[in-house]
Amino acid sequence: MIAYLFRRLLGIIPVLLGITIISFIVIHLAPGKPATVEQSLNPKVSPEIRAKLYKLYGLDKPLHVQYADWLKRSVRFDFGDSFADGRPVARRILERMPLTILVNAVSLVCVFLAAIPLGIKAAQKPGGRFDNATTVAVFVLFAVPTFWLALLLMQLVCIRLGWLPISGIKSLDFEYFSPARKVMDIGWHLILPVFVTTLGSLAGISRYMRSSMIEAMSQPYIVTARAKGLPERTVVYKHGLRNALLPIVTLVGLSIPGLLGGSVIFESIFALPGLGRLFYEAVMTRDYPLIMAEVVLGAVLTMAGNLIADISYAYVDPRIRYKG
Amino acid sequence: MENLLEVKNLNVDFQLEQHVIHAVRGVDLCVRPQETVVVAGESGSGKTVTALALTRILPPNARITAGEAFFDGKDLLALNERELEQVRGSKIAYCFQEPTSYLNPVYSIGEQICEAVIFHQHCSRKEAEKEAARLLEDVRIPDPRRVLASYPHQLSGGMNQRVFIAMSLACKPRLLICDEPTTALDVTIEAQILQLLKELKARHGFALLFITHNLAIAKKIAQRIYVMYQGKVVEGDETSRIFAAPRHAHTKELISAYEKIGKL
Amino acid sequence: MRNPYLTAGTLIIGVLAITAILAPLISPYDPARIDGKNLLAPPSPAHLMGTDSLGRDLASRMAWGARISLSIGLIAVGIATLIGLVVGSIAGFYGRWPDAVIMRFTDIMLCFPTFFLILAVVAVLEPSIYNIMAIIGLTGWMGAARLIRSEILSLKEREFIQAERALGASDARIIVRHLVPNAIGPVLVNATLGIAGAILLESGLSFLGLGVQPPTASWGNILIESKSTLGVAWWITVFPGLAILVTILGFNFIAEGLKKVIG
Repeated sequence: MIAYLFRRLLGIIPVLLGITIISFIVIHLAPGKPATVEQSLNPKVSPEIRAKLYKLYGLDKPLHVQYADWLKRSVRFDFGDSFADGRPVARRILERMPLTILVNAVSLVCVFLAAIPLGIKAAQKPGGRFDNATTVAVFVLFAVPTFWLALLLMQLVCIRLGWLPISGIKSLDFEYFSPARKVMDIGWHLILPVFVTTLGSLAGISRYMRSSMIEAMSQPYIVTARAKGLPERTVVYKHGLRNALLPIVTLVGLSIPGLLGGSVIFESIFALPGLGRLFYEAVMTRDYPLIMAEVVLGAVLTMAGNLIADISYAYVDPRIRYKG
Repeated sequence: MENLLEVKNLNVDFQLEQHVIHAVRGVDLCVRPQETVVVAGESGSGKTVTALALTRILPPNARITAGEAFFDGKDLLALNERELEQVRGSKIAYCFQEPTSYLNPVYSIGEQICEAVIFHQHCSRKEAEKEAARLLEDVRIPDPRRVLASYPHQLSGGMNQRVFIAMSLACKPRLLICDEPTTALDVTIEAQILQLLKELKARHGFALLFITHNLAIAKKIAQRIYVMYQGKVVEGDETSRIFAAPRHAHTKELISAYEKIGKL
Repeated sequence: MRNPYLTAGTLIIGVLAITAILAPLISPYDPARIDGKNLLAPPSPAHLMGTDSLGRDLASRMAWGARISLSIGLIAVGIATLIGLVVGSIAGFYGRWPDAVIMRFTDIMLCFPTFFLILAVVAVLEPSIYNIMAIIGLTGWMGAARLIRSEILSLKEREFIQAERALGASDARIIVRHLVPNAIGPVLVNATLGIAGAILLESGLSFLGLGVQPPTASWGNILIESKSTLGVAWWITVFPGLAILVTILGFNFIAEGLKKVIG
């Protein structure tokens, strides 16, 4: 286990370097180099911004020096100051991070709470009525643009029925609420975003759970469990489910890029002040330091997610846990 | 003598995507208390399906279309699921071909033995663990404490088969069904396992229904042999008589093939 | 009806493709024609899907939008599949260090939240149809590459390849004539799913205003207006979304059908 951990940790070093190099290349696509000053058709990039970029990234120095400098600063989380308000990029990101993590973590929990029973039920009788019904539902859910679903739900639940607030995270009179009411109010505002985010990942994960469960239930050890006289409930939930859940663990890591991408759209639609919306604003105002920091951060989060997923997989699977 | 198990006219079908396969067709066989009976036949002849059908642990696309299987005077095929659970593992136990894949990879050996003991004997975990250690000693596993804490992938195939036998005998079954238990093991381990089964049988007095494609093993251990071919029992008799005067063409063929390579 | 998925999918995409190709002929109006007297008109015989806030005919805009969506989907996936094919073949065929380098790079690319990367590039370059195609293609080849690599790894050891090699065929010939055609099935399924993904991605980008730019109509950028007409003009929300849904469904059906064909 320790050896495995060590190998995995060593493995992320080249990936980290790769991530930074690619991000660095993207920076260099940015207008700001002397050669592109005249050609740039981008009206949003004024000479003043170009000068700032030039200074921030040291565009007059040789390429490898630029990269080394940038890497050195990035390691210290110094991503420069935001063009928009002059505050450090790292601080702006930190402010926005909790909300995005909260929404996505809650959604992820909801996804698994729904997908696992759905998958088990469908796997019990592949080709049966329930399985076929969920197959149809999954096809449709896969095809629905989730931002469109968000718009429809806003129209129905928020405008027609008036059950939920339409956007933002706080009511207008939030300041006067008691602490408990404040928490309630935020929760109230987050119901719809969490619901839509959950639906976005539900189809894929429930399908995966289904096939994983079918696979597990067709294994020889299931015959053994039955031959031992264990009741069907124990056979399914103790012997089948535990094995079927192993590969599901890694999905947590794999879902992160999709969730982050989704955050950009959902947070824009629901006007939530999270990382996604910050990124959207940065893109719209061409706030390059902020954009770059978010790209690197997104990649690092994804990598961390994969690493955590791999480690938890190794932990729950004794075949890896006891191997080294 | 009264039969412990008496199977009459057993028929099992498999529903495939396009067509139906009649895997077992009108099988009759019986096993007397404490007897060793071998069901021999090539792969696909329906031996395993017959064995699994007895306690209805067949794959979901299989269907028992006709037949009776009297065990201790009760028809197993007429029992409901709850009644069958009381029979499986407790009165009739199984032992399979590849022990390592028939053991659950995510639970320790101890857990897998204990759960059957707890379920059938309604005892505490402490007692079950004690019993599990005793069972492992019974199948001549040195250092049972260590093995109980191990996972299947950490043990050899032969060791896992011993574990499996111990697990099967946990509730003192009256009939042990072994489906090719030594086929996946190498020859020296095979001999050890066969010897172990013989000892255990002498000590505990269960009846053994042994399934194999290997006539040499059949000859060595069986009191009676059934030969299966294409889903049917084509011949069934005392071992000595089968080898002395085989009646069915398929049996003759099998025996002469074994004689040719000098394995009998 | 031996393969209902394939039939249904082909039917949906067929109708869509015809609409897209014939858009200039079958659209009742010029998609950019502004009509001040018919702002936000609900669906009627004159305007089958109603009009938007500038009085433009939604049905016509939808038909033209089909062109955009389909061509972006096809070309982006074409780029991605081509890159994946080349990169995956090299990795699978040569093994050793080219494989190690390529697969490591693939892993790195998979670490990027694609949407973030695309948005960053769009912010740096100009959002235009061509840039969108290129970016979606350049960030979407990893699946195809992994697939072709693993197919080739398993094919490489088979007898007919060994025989071909013994007869002195060049690497390129073996790859192009034997390995790629044999591995193409799963790649095709992957590409079909990829088209659906690319169309979804484009609609999301355009919805954010970072994809296809007005006045060019795309299903995604028609939906921008639905934010401000929420509760006022349902047709602006419903039709483009439905079009995207049905298109994705069509491509996913085809992919499912192809899977059955390949077996």
